[in-house]
Amino acid sequence: MVTAPETKRAARLPIKDEWGFFGIRFESIGGYGAHIAGRMLAEAGVVYMGFNGSNFSSYGSEKKGSPVKAYVRFCDSDQEVRTSAPIEEPHVIAVFHEALIHTQPVAAGLREDGTIIVNTRKSPEEIRELLGLEYGTVATVDAITIAVEEKTRVNTAMLGALCRVVPFIDPEAVKAVIRDTFGKKYPHTVPGNLRTFDRGYESVRMMTITPKPGFVREPYRRPDPPFGYLNAPIGGLVLSAGNSIVKDLSASRQGYLPAFDREKCIDCAQCDIVCPDYCFVWEKGTDKKGRPAMVLKGIDYQYCKGCLKCVEACPTGALQEKLEEDGWAKAHRVPRFALPA
Amino acid sequence: MAMVEPKARAAQKTDFKTGNEMAALAAAHINFHLMGYYPITPSTEIAEFLDEMKVEGEHDIVMVPGDGEHGAAGICYGASTGGARVFNATSANGYLYALEQMPVQSGTRMPMVLNLVTRSVSGPLDIRGDHSDLYYALLTGWVVLFAREPQHVYDLNIIAVKLGEHPDVRLPVVVAFDGFFTSHQKRRVQYFEDKQVVRDWLGPMPEGFPHALDPKNPITIGAYMNDPDLINNKYQLHLAHQNVLRVLPEIFASYAELSGRHYPLVDLYRMEDAEVALFLIGSAAETAKDVCDKLREQGVKAGVISPVLLRPFPVEIIRGALKNVKALVVGERADVYGANGGLMTHEVKAALKDDPENKTIVLSRVYGLGGKDFYPEDAEAFFRLAMRVAEQGGLGEIPAFDYFGVTPITPADPAKRVLPPLKAEELQSPVRIEVQPDGRVKAIAPPPRQMMEMPKRIAPGHGACPGCGIFGALDNFFRGLSGHVVVLFQTGCAMVVTTGYPYTSHRVTYIHNLFQNGAPTLSGLVEVFHEKKRRGELPADEDITFVMVTGDGGMDIGMGPAIGTALRNHKMIILEYDNQGYMNTGAQLSYSTPMGHKTATSNVGARGFGKVFHHKDTPQIMAATNIPYVFTGVESQPQDLWKKAAKAQYYAKNYGLAYGKVLIACPLNWQSEERLGTKIVQAAVDSCFFPLYEVEQHKTTITYDPEEKGKKIPVAEWLKMMGKTKHLLRPENKHILDEIQAEVDRRWRRLKAMHEHPLL
Repeated sequence: MVTAPETKRAARLPIKDEWGFFGIRFESIGGYGAHIAGRMLAEAGVVYMGFNGSNFSSYGSEKKGSPVKAYVRFCDSDQEVRTSAPIEEPHVIAVFHEALIHTQPVAAGLREDGTIIVNTRKSPEEIRELLGLEYGTVATVDAITIAVEEKTRVNTAMLGALCRVVPFIDPEAVKAVIRDTFGKKYPHTVPGNLRTFDRGYESVRMMTITPKPGFVREPYRRPDPPFGYLNAPIGGLVLSAGNSIVKDLSASRQGYLPAFDREKCIDCAQCDIVCPDYCFVWEKGTDKKGRPAMVLKGIDYQYCKGCLKCVEACPTGALQEKLEEDGWAKAHRVPRFALPA
Repeated sequence: MAMVEPKARAAQKTDFKTGNEMAALAAAHINFHLMGYYPITPSTEIAEFLDEMKVEGEHDIVMVPGDGEHGAAGICYGASTGGARVFNATSANGYLYALEQMPVQSGTRMPMVLNLVTRSVSGPLDIRGDHSDLYYALLTGWVVLFAREPQHVYDLNIIAVKLGEHPDVRLPVVVAFDGFFTSHQKRRVQYFEDKQVVRDWLGPMPEGFPHALDPKNPITIGAYMNDPDLINNKYQLHLAHQNVLRVLPEIFASYAELSGRHYPLVDLYRMEDAEVALFLIGSAAETAKDVCDKLREQGVKAGVISPVLLRPFPVEIIRGALKNVKALVVGERADVYGANGGLMTHEVKAALKDDPENKTIVLSRVYGLGGKDFYPEDAEAFFRLAMRVAEQGGLGEIPAFDYFGVTPITPADPAKRVLPPLKAEELQSPVRIEVQPDGRVKAIAPPPRQMMEMPKRIAPGHGACPGCGIFGALDNFFRGLSGHVVVLFQTGCAMVVTTGYPYTSHRVTYIHNLFQNGAPTLSGLVEVFHEKKRRGELPADEDITFVMVTGDGGMDIGMGPAIGTALRNHKMIILEYDNQGYMNTGAQLSYSTPMGHKTATSNVGARGFGKVFHHKDTPQIMAATNIPYVFTGVESQPQDLWKKAAKAQYYAKNYGLAYGKVLIACPLNWQSEERLGTKIVQAAVDSCFFPLYEVEQHKTTITYDPEEKGKKIPVAEWLKMMGKTKHLLRPENKHILDEIQAEVDRRWRRLKAMHEHPLL
């Protein structure tokens, strides 16, 4: 039942932490729509259902493709929201991209009775294994397939899944916000988004983990900065030139990557010229006539964000767009650098 | 903020909005005459929201995008001399860049409202929230109000207009609020359903104050004034601040009648019988209240003090509130380095000094710098500190002043390299240079395959968006340069995504200074390089090429410094990547944004078709400084770009400053497919919007002529490739499209004439 803003009642939360809040954290990648999903969920709770609450996202220099977080807090309608700090021990964590599991501590701080929802084709058991989670509930939803099929984004599918695991959120209220949000500027996208939401809601798979006897959840510990005031170089200098090579940007890819066929390659270098992420690996070799020449060896997928500019530039079809399968990039990666362990 | 029981109050809507949204909503409801603005995180959204509302006809504020915050503040000052209602919003370094304008605004007694969305001041550059910018604002003669949550932002903005214009006040007013914690956090809020309620409450601006738009009554604004007059002018300013202490409570009371929301000058939370207290500005005070409640449940007499009014400082209220407090911790989100406490510490202490009975022990803790979050346990730590001091009746071993939340040491070694430095001999570009008999130079580029021998001076692992055009442009340019390079990046995407501490993607020495001051900075380095060589402090054969990299936004705010540097003709290169907007701060218009293009501050709607004026022709501006080499390039024509890079290096080594502009795709904000960037910039070239040419020793040469090759396309063919320009192809915008085509054709014909005639 949607309750219009004017007639909403004093809403009460069934589950709260010691400060009176129910906390939700979205772990995502810039461009997946987690920020707007957080906003829609919070609006559904506050404007349509009468809870009080707050909503915000992590901000910094993050660009599209970089890890981002969004937060939603709910509390009873008569409680004030005073804290503005991030939610470190959420009741629900929604992971918008499975690859984040490898690069971010996505499950950090999950409450003992909490649920983590992951956008994945894998089963809850497999995700539990990947996360190494020993408590709580694991839920999975294949949001990317739904989004591709409905020509929408994963965020509305994730919202559907969230409504399934957060029982006090009325799915009709979220759908009303979806209509409101998309209806203003992009009315033609409303039906697709509503279908995406419903499919997300319906296709959730869940498993609740029974902790081993004697299991005690480790309290959440905030990560340390890289250096302290005794070992950080003064003035904020960075002394290790080019150290960004240790970063793994695989999670920036949104489903596709370029596949390289050495047989078709003529070493014309058009791919390297347009690649924003410097993924192409060249080595000294010989050309067709046996003269010394640079030869394209392959792609370092650790840095590839899947923009496919190289596929567009390739004149011979040596580079082809490929739907990324689990483990494929790792198996076909040609490293540009010998990285420290 | 206490709730007042409703009488016949105006109807209000309950909603869920951020501080920035509430600032924009208040401005729209007030309907200022003018907003002068310049994008800077986190204040930028205010102008964006107002632009969105404007194209939908929700207000009539004239929105003027400045060339920098200094310019924006000048626009505002000028408007305020006309007796207008004026609005601005900025943060951090933007505020500091405009700082010089602030005492003029207050000293010449021109009311206006500036929203200071507080953020850390560089350097190192940190875009998150603290109060280091606010503390400068406290020294400017402006009234300063602080809003702790989005609701306060709306209310205090409306109140600020009334206060600043009051005949006994006549002062500009800052409404400050916490960057991100308040500016970007959605909360439940209320605002008037009918904006007329706000406009009626404010009424027209009070009359009787001369202004610059009344030719029948000529006045001189800004006379030059030495002693003995200045001290009297400043005493007037002081008296006006004193009047605020009387006038503001009256305005708060009147606003409470209207809205039901009553503000005190200082928010005193459970202070009636408090023995331990925290003094905090902004959102942190709200966090502390939750902890205060918990401690009260445990029998601790705790309280929280948070001023709404910071200038004038409400000394007496604070003194009264602390009368029986045993220990107070003043938390400061900014330090006054070397002063053993921030401004608030000393002002609170000074307030207490005048009460001989007072025995409050005051501790000062700097916390939360650069946006470091303030958690309830941090507030609890502050309370526990106060409790300990209160219990032991003195400081004992506890320092009166300290930092809170610093990390001493970690196991990591910051000096550990993961890559060896590049050697000069590895860095010999395959592009060759030949000096021609006429003194001009010819560059010969090898086949692309051979160019792959060049190591990249930028490492992968940077955080740019997928399909970003910056990195193709930079690497292709650097491939044409031989030997060691030192780079300086102005603030922008390329800077931010390559140097997020503790990482850097730069394999060569890299410098960032400010958004706008890169060219002078690098020119200083160039000059000491040559001087140190001359003095024998560097080897005589040391060879470094100096390259400044900037976005098109950096060439707006940094245009003056770049022109100055070019006129001095230092031996260096300025390379501009042009993505047609301020993409690092969320796609606001820059002067290089072409007419009609949609940005976050040139929206498309019932009353807007995108940017209203034509794009800046920066290469021609730079050519007019008579530097030896100017060029344009794109990644879709790499050989052309490699050759121009080598020539730029030749000129920067032998003659002076070289400048080049590379058009690059920004798929996110051009709303185009990531994979199509190369084709879109080539279409810009083929439409003659972005001609490829060089001005070498003052002679213009078109290096690729699409007309000659039969490849010229109408601008529409290029514009249809991007979401930001699709609206220009609709029939109702045909006149705009025609105007763009006419301007492109005019500039192209002029360029061709210059190409054909060596004197042009």
